[in-house]
Amino acid sequence: MDRKYIGKSVKRIEDPRLLTGQALFTDDVHLEGMLHVTFLRSDYAHARIKSIDISEALKHPGVVAVYTADDFGDYWHVGPMQVPPPIAIPNSKFHAKGLPPIAKEKVRFSGEPLAVVVAENRYIAEDAAGEIIVDLEPLDVVVDMEKAWEDTSVLIHEDIGTNMAALVKQEKGNYAEAAAKADVVIKRKFHIDRGASGAMENRGLVASWDNRTQSMTIWTNNQAPIPLRNTCAANLGLSESQVHVITAFTGGGFGPKIMTSQADDVLLPWISKKLNRPIKWIEDRREDFLATTSERDQIHFCEIALTKEGKILGLSDIFYHDTGAYNPYGMTVPLNTMTHTMGSYIVPNFYTEVRMVYTNKMVVSPVRGAGRMYGNYIMERMLDIAARQLKIDLVELRRMNLIQPDMYPFRTGITGQDFVENIVDSGNYPETLRKAVEMIGYEKFIKEDQPKLRSQGKKVGIGVVTFVEGTGVGPYEGAKVTVEGTGKVNVATGIASQGQGHYTSFAQIVAEQLGVAPQDVLVTTGDTDQFDWGAGTFASRGMTVAGTAIHLAAVNVRKKILKLASKLFETPEDELEITGGVVRVADFPDKSISLGNLASRANPSRGVIEPGVEPGLEATAYYGPPYGATGQGSVAMILEVNPDTFEVKIQRFVLVHDAGTVINPMIVEGQIMGGVQMGIGNAFYEEMAYDEYGQLQNASLMDYLIPAATEMPPKMEIGHVVSPSPLNPLGLKGVGEAGTIPIPACFHQALENALDNIIEITTSPMSPSRLFTLTRK
Amino acid sequence: MKIEGEHIFNGSRPDVWEMIRDPEVLASALPGTQKLNKLSDTDYEGVMNVRIGPVSGSFSGKLVVSDEVPPESCTLTVDGKGAPGFLKGVGHVKFTEQSDKTTHMTYEGEVTIGGTLASVGQRMIDSVAKSMIRQGFESMDKALEARLANKAGQQVEYKPPTEAQFAAGVAKDMAKSWTQIAEVRMIMYVIPVGIIMALIGYVLSKILTR
Repeated sequence: MDRKYIGKSVKRIEDPRLLTGQALFTDDVHLEGMLHVTFLRSDYAHARIKSIDISEALKHPGVVAVYTADDFGDYWHVGPMQVPPPIAIPNSKFHAKGLPPIAKEKVRFSGEPLAVVVAENRYIAEDAAGEIIVDLEPLDVVVDMEKAWEDTSVLIHEDIGTNMAALVKQEKGNYAEAAAKADVVIKRKFHIDRGASGAMENRGLVASWDNRTQSMTIWTNNQAPIPLRNTCAANLGLSESQVHVITAFTGGGFGPKIMTSQADDVLLPWISKKLNRPIKWIEDRREDFLATTSERDQIHFCEIALTKEGKILGLSDIFYHDTGAYNPYGMTVPLNTMTHTMGSYIVPNFYTEVRMVYTNKMVVSPVRGAGRMYGNYIMERMLDIAARQLKIDLVELRRMNLIQPDMYPFRTGITGQDFVENIVDSGNYPETLRKAVEMIGYEKFIKEDQPKLRSQGKKVGIGVVTFVEGTGVGPYEGAKVTVEGTGKVNVATGIASQGQGHYTSFAQIVAEQLGVAPQDVLVTTGDTDQFDWGAGTFASRGMTVAGTAIHLAAVNVRKKILKLASKLFETPEDELEITGGVVRVADFPDKSISLGNLASRANPSRGVIEPGVEPGLEATAYYGPPYGATGQGSVAMILEVNPDTFEVKIQRFVLVHDAGTVINPMIVEGQIMGGVQMGIGNAFYEEMAYDEYGQLQNASLMDYLIPAATEMPPKMEIGHVVSPSPLNPLGLKGVGEAGTIPIPACFHQALENALDNIIEITTSPMSPSRLFTLTRK
Repeated sequence: MKIEGEHIFNGSRPDVWEMIRDPEVLASALPGTQKLNKLSDTDYEGVMNVRIGPVSGSFSGKLVVSDEVPPESCTLTVDGKGAPGFLKGVGHVKFTEQSDKTTHMTYEGEVTIGGTLASVGQRMIDSVAKSMIRQGFESMDKALEARLANKAGQQVEYKPPTEAQFAAGVAKDMAKSWTQIAEVRMIMYVIPVGIIMALIGYVLSKILTR
């Protein structure tokens, strides 16, 4: 298909504003009479609240108000389940514990808010917070998942009598039977940690109640503005139309910014309404570590059964998943782990069981990759171990077990985060692996380069893995596309943007249909007054779900344009063309009208219209997939380990991905590169280090190591394979998490290879000291 | 976090014991400690102001002496709270008289730290703590010397170090040890002063648990 804009690396339309500091971020909102908020947070990870004395803080000059849980009266309530329990999975057990906006009676993690200080400025608020006297009675703390699961002597939530947050088992085929028939059964335990989202821009929210218009305006960098508006209206007893949520430009979301019903979005609107003043809260960096959800560790007990030729017969995986002190985001993360464990491979029998545990730590919610990385890690690690044991080449073992291109739709038999069976819609897995192996020069490296480097004493190794990425899940998104009398095109959708380039790639989709330049398409995301149906930005679904809705709306506007022009020119629709901002008769280009003029004609100010005709050139459309589209890819890297310091340098990096139709290759590559950077962090640098008392020990960017340019490969070579998804008209699949998912597995395989396979890595992240320790065992 | 260590005092065991049980000396070994008020023979209450650079905070703490076997051993429990966080420590201290009239002190215990102390100060805890312990012992050595001299009829004045001198000592020690840490990237002026403050709080526990 010949396309004018789709598939082109159009430069990002939003960048001039961003790069010249003209974009509005939440902290750029300044309103007259605005007050500033700081939260006093618990130092203890588990304690009973005996008393909170705010009297001194209230006396502090410049302090307007100080609130504790009791001051909110009946408004205080435990938040809802933002993601519902997995009732679709038979026999699943789930103990729901929503997040209280501010601690009452008990604190369950270090960082839980205890009091809110409202003051004329942030400095005063912070100083006054230091004058609040909190009497907490420390309770024993439980942070170890296995211990928390077995031992009920320390209970996070006494009323459920256990620390079990959920227990879900799923099986495809029969693993036990498969294992009994296998030539080889390999068992391993893995401990895998992930980390914080570490967005460059921390969270923030401004709430402004206007008594005269009786309306609440909220500026925030949330990923789910519409659910946020709906809960805010419900909490305050307002109509949804009285609440306007605007998501300003946002410096990275990565998952945790999807959370609602937290201290900021619950308490600030109430305070603003009570004081009749605008209220601002901007999270500081330490708060971002302590008070923003993260993704942390899982412990896996994994078994793989194979024939001696290397054919996978079955896989079993029983794992513990730390959900922190509450579970408002349901089971999205562990369900993603379950649906991504079999990965790109044919696994006829699969047993998976998750034991989700409450601990005295921050709540876990998805962080880019969202549980997929753990599943990918254990499968790829098990294949590495199996290949060594069976003396089969690592790549060959993978190749012989890949799902083949003629097997789609491929049913996995496992229910995922969207509560329907995970079905792989399309792909070409052998091709991504072939291409990655070819691009990195696998054979040559193994046979020629590596022996040479080894003889020079260099510890250089190669890693090759594959991955799948479930993307673009439901329920739905929508969009409204309008051609204005100005000739410009307006697009509004409910999802919010955090830097993905939506203003450009969505514009390209519309430009393709309406024959205008992408620069003439104005995209608005995440403004509830512009469009207020939809779920939000998560699960790599922006392009696939909202992008498809935009496409469908644009197609309908195109139909309206053609219908109207056909009447105007008395020419059949198929003889018309839309190009360069005009619609015209293809064979008589002089017979033409600009889209702006046509739009004005469709919106007469006097006279009559035909019955049933909708005004203007506007259409709204919705799209909800039956199940998510699955992206896939293969990664290869060559890295060198410094034999003295055990520091690692990635020398070459190749990623071949299949995200179906690509709207803007430049943006997609940028997404992948950003994801890879997070993956490198997860593999070797980043970790939320909690001590046995539930204290986060590295709540600063000096101690929590996010990879810098120095830790990145000098160049990323990215290859594209395109298998359009049959699930949506443009053939789209998501790609936002592709770069993150496979990196730890690939990185660790390459580390082992670099160190002559004398070590076996079953812990992630590694670090120079962990690697050193392993080699000394 | 486990702590353990030893120190040799230049004095007899009863003299050392007497000094250790003098709240004035304990307080003076750590500048910023306002006072250690004696509530009873075994219970003390104290406030320590910490002010380094632009950051300041105060800790209020309790010290309980138990399992006392004078002049051989005791258990010290410290519970401190303040804006920079909290700390709780239990330490067992033993004194052994040596043949050369010196006293060998050993201590071991466990400290729990929370809040900003734990979340921002972790990386430097070891090195700063060591420095502060070293300096704390130095001032106690001087205090002991002064006490013994006074006992012998000489007038020797004991002057505890000021907060500034103390902080400078820590910074000096830190700079030495930092250069040995391979992973350190952006040190010195980026270091939140709170870290040092955190460690002073932490050492409070150590010194009090001696």
